[in-house]
Amino acid sequence: MFATRALRQATAHAAERTPLIRFIGKREIPSHIDHTPQPHPASPTGSLPANFGNTHTSFSSYRDSAQQHGPLRKSIGSLPASRLGPVEAPKGQYFDRNELPARFRRMPLSLAEIEAIETGGATLVG
Amino acid sequence: MLASRLIPRTAVRSSFRSKTSLPTVVSPVSRWRRGYASQSEEKDLVIIGGGVAGYVAAIKAGQEGLKVTCIEKRGALGGTCLNVGCIPSKSLLNNSHLYHQILHDTKGRGIEVGDVKLNLEGMMKAKETSVSGLTKGIEFLFKKNGVEYIKGTGSFINEHEIKVALNEGGETSVKGKNIIIATGSEATPFPGLEIDEKRVITSTGALSLEKVPEKLIVIGGGIIGLEMGSVWSRLGAKVTVVEFLNQIGGPGMDTEISKQAQKLLKKQGVEFKLGTKVVSGDASGETIKLEVDSAKGGKPETLDADVVLVAIGRRPYTSGLGLENAGLEVDERGRVVIDSEYRTKASHIRCIGDVTFGPMLAHKAEEEAVAAIEYIKKGYGHVNYGVIPSVMYTHPEVAWVGQNEQELKAQNIPYKVGTFPFSANSRAKTNLDTDGLVKMLADPETDRLLGCHIIGPNAGEMIAEATLALEYGASTEDIARTCHAHPTLAEAFKEAAMATYSKAIHF
Repeated sequence: MFATRALRQATAHAAERTPLIRFIGKREIPSHIDHTPQPHPASPTGSLPANFGNTHTSFSSYRDSAQQHGPLRKSIGSLPASRLGPVEAPKGQYFDRNELPARFRRMPLSLAEIEAIETGGATLVG
Repeated sequence: MLASRLIPRTAVRSSFRSKTSLPTVVSPVSRWRRGYASQSEEKDLVIIGGGVAGYVAAIKAGQEGLKVTCIEKRGALGGTCLNVGCIPSKSLLNNSHLYHQILHDTKGRGIEVGDVKLNLEGMMKAKETSVSGLTKGIEFLFKKNGVEYIKGTGSFINEHEIKVALNEGGETSVKGKNIIIATGSEATPFPGLEIDEKRVITSTGALSLEKVPEKLIVIGGGIIGLEMGSVWSRLGAKVTVVEFLNQIGGPGMDTEISKQAQKLLKKQGVEFKLGTKVVSGDASGETIKLEVDSAKGGKPETLDADVVLVAIGRRPYTSGLGLENAGLEVDERGRVVIDSEYRTKASHIRCIGDVTFGPMLAHKAEEEAVAAIEYIKKGYGHVNYGVIPSVMYTHPEVAWVGQNEQELKAQNIPYKVGTFPFSANSRAKTNLDTDGLVKMLADPETDRLLGCHIIGPNAGEMIAEATLALEYGASTEDIARTCHAHPTLAEAFKEAAMATYSKAIHF
């Protein structure tokens, strides 16, 4: 009897239609996303200009165009130490402010200044 | 000195209090505050343009917790769409339709009306009320979401800094870690005809004519031209549409639907000259003269009109933006070149909306705005360019999404067709508004929906169902097996789906 019922159910399910539309569940951000520039889907040419984006193929090529307080140079990495010259500062240049004549050095901080800086000025009020 | 610096903090504090002679003032902060040369803090995001793309991006960015500034020069938010596009045109389309219906379509409904008069000034005022209400609504949303709104014209100083010429005078500058260009588009002018927005007009002028012209020529039979042509035709103008292509509605509209739209608009009094090019125009006389010829040549003709509407398309708007200062480039049609994540050549500058690739539609710009912010914030966004609906708000409306029959044929993609006419739909019958049909295109093997094309009442609302079905890869049987309320126009949609996978019941 049970076998017949199971058979009947199986036949009924076999005839059931499977919708093409599916429940895709909660949207999640893929764990790996390739952010290298790709052509926009609506781009008429389907391609990007040759010089598009920051497409540095290596750290070395990035350094060629990188800027930090002026252009970064690769000279230290590319030259042997013997050819970099002496480590002393050239004449007229100093590594530290405290090597300069006294008038160029920082003024000593007063206790009042220290207190005001530490408390953000709060102790001056009231 | 060093020793004094090492005194415990509490000791310093107590000694300082007892010895200090500094006066205790109510607001000493200004004496101690350090002044900086920079004019403003760096924002997480600066958006140039407060149109649909820009304002949606600004609100979304605010919601995502970004510090955002939006620069808009119009003095009102919402861009072309809200101020001189979608919204005011829909106001005129709706009210001119009501006027036309009261004039011509009441007797069969058992309604007798007296002397019906057009008050154009009143119709324009209704339009302005709708527009101002919506633009002020966006300003409220800006405040709600913490968006800084600068009224002025923005231009790049460099990759990170934007100079703003303020509308109220003066200048400021803003810096952004990210920048979005959303400057939109403008009507493409017709060479040889100078736009004065009085006699030679674009869609902007067509929204605020002071009187109904006797004769109106529309150059361009696309959506904008047909919508504005419909408005003025309903209000009494003799409208002639001159179109270079052999079909109206632009290349995206299904040819079968386009032919039916043309037939129905012709019945309403709009004349068409298809496959016709405008050779030259002369606006120096009392009426404007247009020399036209067939697209292939050999059939020259002179047309005259009181007003000529130039509706040959729109072009990206980047003038004065200083793109060159940020090292950005545009393509041969003036579109800012972007990648799939809306990044320009400078990866922190993104670009969305009409000013870049894709159809110039407000809802496409909105989608891009949300996606661009998600790319900035989460590194991932979504816009399906294959599923962007188009709507023409004439009467009847025309709406479509996905591929049309001519595109499928051109790509040799097999398809099956199912249609259902509104003349067999109960609600359309009761409304005495039965022109049009629903047409569906589906894969013959999997039954997956490939495209849907509707001409008929409420097509613009109904296309949302097709868009959802297409987005989620539904089959026409999926649609047909979904219960639709009776009696509704949407039943025609369901029946078209039934006709595609099997047979319609009521036809």
